[in-house]
Amino acid sequence: MTRVDEKIAVSVNQGGEPIGFRWRNQSYLVNAKPVRWFARREWWVEAARAQRGIGAGVLELEMWRLQASCVERQKPLAQYELIHSFDLSDKPVSASPEVSEGWRLVRVYE
Amino acid sequence: MATGARLRITSEKLKDFTHLHVASAYSGHYGVTRPELLAEAAAANGSSAHAITDRNGLYGAVKHIGACLKLGIDPIVGVDLPVLDEESNVIARCVILAHGNDGGAGWRALCKVVSLAHRHGKRIQAVGIKRSELAKAIQSEEHQKAFCTVLLGPDSDLGRLVLTGRRAAAEANLAEWVNCLPQKGALAIEIVSHLTEPNSEWSVSQASRMLQLADANKVPTVLSNAVRYLSPDDALTADVLDAARNLEPLGYFQPQPNAQAWLKPTRLMESVALEITQNYQRSLELLKTTEALANRCRLDPPNDCGWGRPKTPEKSALGIDGNPFEVLWQRAHDAIDWRYPNAKPKRLLEVRHRLSQELITISKLGFATYFLTVADVAQMIRDMKIRTAARGSGAGSLVNYLLGISGVDPVEHELLFERFLSTERSTLPDIDIDVESARRHDIYRSIFRRYGSDRVTLLSMQSTYRGRGAVRDSGLALGLNDEEIDEIAKNVWRFSAGSFRNALAVKPELAKMAEAIETDRKMNLLVDITERLDRLPRHISMHPCGVILGDTSLLGLTPVEPSGLGLPMSQFDKDDMDPMGMLKLDVLGVRMQSTMAYAVQEISRVSGKQLELDSIPLDDPATYQQICTTNTLGIFQIESPGQRELTGKHQPTEFNDLTIQISLFRPGPMKGNMIAPYLDGRHGFAKPDLIHKDLEPILRETFGVVIFHEQVLRILNVMTGCSLAKADEMRRQLENPKSKPKIELFFREATKAKGYPQEIINRVWGILEGFGSFGFCKAHGAAFAMPTYQSAWLKTHYPTEFLAGILTHDPGMYPRRLLMAEARRLGVIVLPLDVNQSTAEYRVEPIDQINTESAKIGIRMSLAEVQGMSEVEVQRIIAEQPFDSLVDFYRRSKPSRRTLERLALVGALDSLTGGANTRGDVVARVRQLNSLKNRPAHDPNQPMLDFEFLETLPSGNPEMSAEDRVAAEMKILQMDVTEHLLEKFRPMLDDMGVVCASELAGLRSKTEVLVAGVRIATQTPPMKSGKRVVFVSLDDGTGCSDSTFFDEAQKRCSHILFNTRLLIIAGKTRRTGVNGVSLMAENAWDLQELWQQWLKANRGASQMANTPIAIEA
Repeated sequence: MTRVDEKIAVSVNQGGEPIGFRWRNQSYLVNAKPVRWFARREWWVEAARAQRGIGAGVLELEMWRLQASCVERQKPLAQYELIHSFDLSDKPVSASPEVSEGWRLVRVYE
Repeated sequence: MATGARLRITSEKLKDFTHLHVASAYSGHYGVTRPELLAEAAAANGSSAHAITDRNGLYGAVKHIGACLKLGIDPIVGVDLPVLDEESNVIARCVILAHGNDGGAGWRALCKVVSLAHRHGKRIQAVGIKRSELAKAIQSEEHQKAFCTVLLGPDSDLGRLVLTGRRAAAEANLAEWVNCLPQKGALAIEIVSHLTEPNSEWSVSQASRMLQLADANKVPTVLSNAVRYLSPDDALTADVLDAARNLEPLGYFQPQPNAQAWLKPTRLMESVALEITQNYQRSLELLKTTEALANRCRLDPPNDCGWGRPKTPEKSALGIDGNPFEVLWQRAHDAIDWRYPNAKPKRLLEVRHRLSQELITISKLGFATYFLTVADVAQMIRDMKIRTAARGSGAGSLVNYLLGISGVDPVEHELLFERFLSTERSTLPDIDIDVESARRHDIYRSIFRRYGSDRVTLLSMQSTYRGRGAVRDSGLALGLNDEEIDEIAKNVWRFSAGSFRNALAVKPELAKMAEAIETDRKMNLLVDITERLDRLPRHISMHPCGVILGDTSLLGLTPVEPSGLGLPMSQFDKDDMDPMGMLKLDVLGVRMQSTMAYAVQEISRVSGKQLELDSIPLDDPATYQQICTTNTLGIFQIESPGQRELTGKHQPTEFNDLTIQISLFRPGPMKGNMIAPYLDGRHGFAKPDLIHKDLEPILRETFGVVIFHEQVLRILNVMTGCSLAKADEMRRQLENPKSKPKIELFFREATKAKGYPQEIINRVWGILEGFGSFGFCKAHGAAFAMPTYQSAWLKTHYPTEFLAGILTHDPGMYPRRLLMAEARRLGVIVLPLDVNQSTAEYRVEPIDQINTESAKIGIRMSLAEVQGMSEVEVQRIIAEQPFDSLVDFYRRSKPSRRTLERLALVGALDSLTGGANTRGDVVARVRQLNSLKNRPAHDPNQPMLDFEFLETLPSGNPEMSAEDRVAAEMKILQMDVTEHLLEKFRPMLDDMGVVCASELAGLRSKTEVLVAGVRIATQTPPMKSGKRVVFVSLDDGTGCSDSTFFDEAQKRCSHILFNTRLLIIAGKTRRTGVNGVSLMAENAWDLQELWQQWLKANRGASQMANTPIAIEA
């Protein structure tokens, strides 16, 4: 397992599931049904505010585990763990409308 | 593929989803959202039914049912309980849902299950029900039927086995559950996914494996979301509640996995179902079986829960034969001679006429049994020789007066029955009975004995998070240390936690904290989460006065749990009583009643005089004179600083004045600005405006100011011709802005029709509209005025006995040391603690002939006051009295070392020395005794050789100075007995020209003065302007001074405004009435600080060198 922490551009289908992403100038295609879950954050350690109405984003993270293969290069099939957040401070990494924002790649299992 | 399926579901528009597992905020330290809000959201989601399943009880059930009925959806009620194995280990947390529309069988079984789960004690850890007991309670083998459904979900032994992947073990476990709950509908598997990481608890994988297992074993399944909050945002609040429940900071325990336990709408529940089943048909099936169970659990509240149906004890339990109404009629009429022995025929006619009217109303409402029940309890209390008084609007009922429930004559005092009970309302009225607080628990036990424990239970109440509690638990959650939390909590002064951030901006005493949050992230979070906790239910406890009386069906309608008193209490609170049709009797312990009973008993014990306090004349001039001096300390209801000031202005001279004064000093009349115009009228500063000759008889007593609800009723009655009952309904509706226009229209038309001029109509409407909702119930005021007068009378004529009573039963808002100061001021002799004379009470003692002063009795101080002395030690001293020497006392009463030394320091052992030795000698001897390694046993056969060396006291030790005595007294008794605390500072106070409280009344208005004293009260009453005003009262031994701090002054001394005990205040006198003077404060200082400075400045001064104070410094 390799830890990374990089913003990446992800394309999603109508249901919001990732179908592919670009990472370090390479394109990847998802080739199995992705798994999604929600993990939690220790907001009492990280957050500046916790007022009513601030939203569950302070507390939880949407996580995705994708099985994907690289388009450009032959690489063994690997699993990629992504965090999807709607944090407004995240700057867009791509101007393309099909590309969904707020994704970070955090772990790679090869 | 998944997307396609999702689309299909939405297009088919499935039936609505019903949440069957929902914890409300009444799941203490677990749920976040109030049941009303959850029900509203469910209805808005389109659900036609909605469940509440609070943890460990039905705490929120009645509010839930009420909310559902209002929204037109069907309520479902269950409980979330720990289920135990035969060895009492928790094997699962299960939801148990009551079936509905079965004549109450489901509800009864649910109540029984909950009560069973609580029978092992008060501790939360003790709550739980064995699976075998549960099975027995919810199934009928005979009828092959289940009354409730048990949901077996992820938080169970089964759920955990499934996660481990041990299929065979899981199969066996499920078989056990099925075996235990074989009846159809008794068991269902609860499928839940909170979308956690695959293969962890609450994950999709766990849910789908449970589903497969259930399907393979043909056990029905239902989908739920194990909801504990309304929206994802509330999950943060849930985190804080988890910390409070675990008593550990966040990060020190396993927190909830994410923020998914919210009340998801149907659409999202459908996609959860699909994600779990991975099969569209199966997901539809799952939703269908969920709805099928929901349907089975829809309650019909009137038939299932006895909703709204009044329940009173059976006739047999009350010991009556025949028609209850006839019995009531007879009893009331029989009592006329007793209550009106010398009445003139005209009064008797009035009484009979009014009685008939009241009885007609009671008969129409069918409440005869209710009145007989309350009368029966009142009689029982009197038979126990316990003082009682009615309170509240019940004092307006002649029936109550005749049945002995109330002691105020409503005819004499012009109180209205309609304010209490009318055919316009059908809810059971509240009759509140005040009793001696010290005997309250005896009364509860007697009620249980008299009516049987199947008909009686105590009422509970939910305390909710307020400022300080919210700060404390938030601080704990964030891991702040105790000192940090204390520092913040002590400045959280009377504002709700919900407006913490707002308060930071405006309250001077929070300025430091406001600065801290700029830079301190944790402080900032603290403010946010404190606000989140505001008003959430915190824990359940015994209601201070409520008893529920019902018939033998009671325990099938409400679950009960043990109270702190050991007697069972209902899980429902006072707001639940009316909807459930339960009869609640308020038996309120009033310490003043205990005080008065004690005083009367002491009068009889010492002088042999039998006093009938309830028959004293209500027009004793000496009593009113005493009240008018404003030395009202210890007098019921009028001893607070504000009431004292009002007394100075008002100068009451008759009973009705007391009723008016008590009613005026209430939030409503104060907000309605009624006090000033009333006083102006009373003192002739303004001519009373009685508006119209028809209103003169109504408004004369209050000089044209509408103070009482009763006056509003009469005005409406006279001017519109409506009945008093109707008038009371309108009065209630006046408080509601929605219904006001309707009332206005009626009022204007009806008065116009009766020919009142437009100008009068406008003015009266203006008054009704403005003052109506601010008024106070006169019957309530009059009921309170009775103990006010009685206590004032006792204080006037029997000050020693009365103060002994107050000191013993501590009834007021002030500390005992202030009562001690009052005794000194009144010249009441206080006899020091003495192990040969003192008991656990303040006893009145005749004083021997040595003392030739006018008073022949004094108050002997109580041993109960010695801090740290155990009940057992006190009882042993009383049992072994008298003692002939210090050694004798030491041997027979066996005090602990600490107690012995404390008793010596406060002089309780002085009498054992024959008077030849100083206190210093006694203390020296006690220290010798305490230094003995082994306490010699008390054995009359053994010569006490060890003691011989001690038979002569050490001598020559110096006498304790007054200052040292006071210091010891404050430490050990928390009272200054020898002299007032302030005496120590006298040289400085004289130096500074500080004025005594008793001198203030003689000063001109606007004199600049300094006052000093011990803080006895701090108040921030509601102000019309909305600005905060702080009142600080000080006692200096000559009386009390009251200072008012407005904005500027508050800023100048914000650091000491709320916490410093000894103060010097600078201000200007402000005359408020004949005997009323208060101070407009300009600044305040910590007296101790000034003292240190003064000592430093005077240290060199030669004239001070010999005083004890200078030596100490």
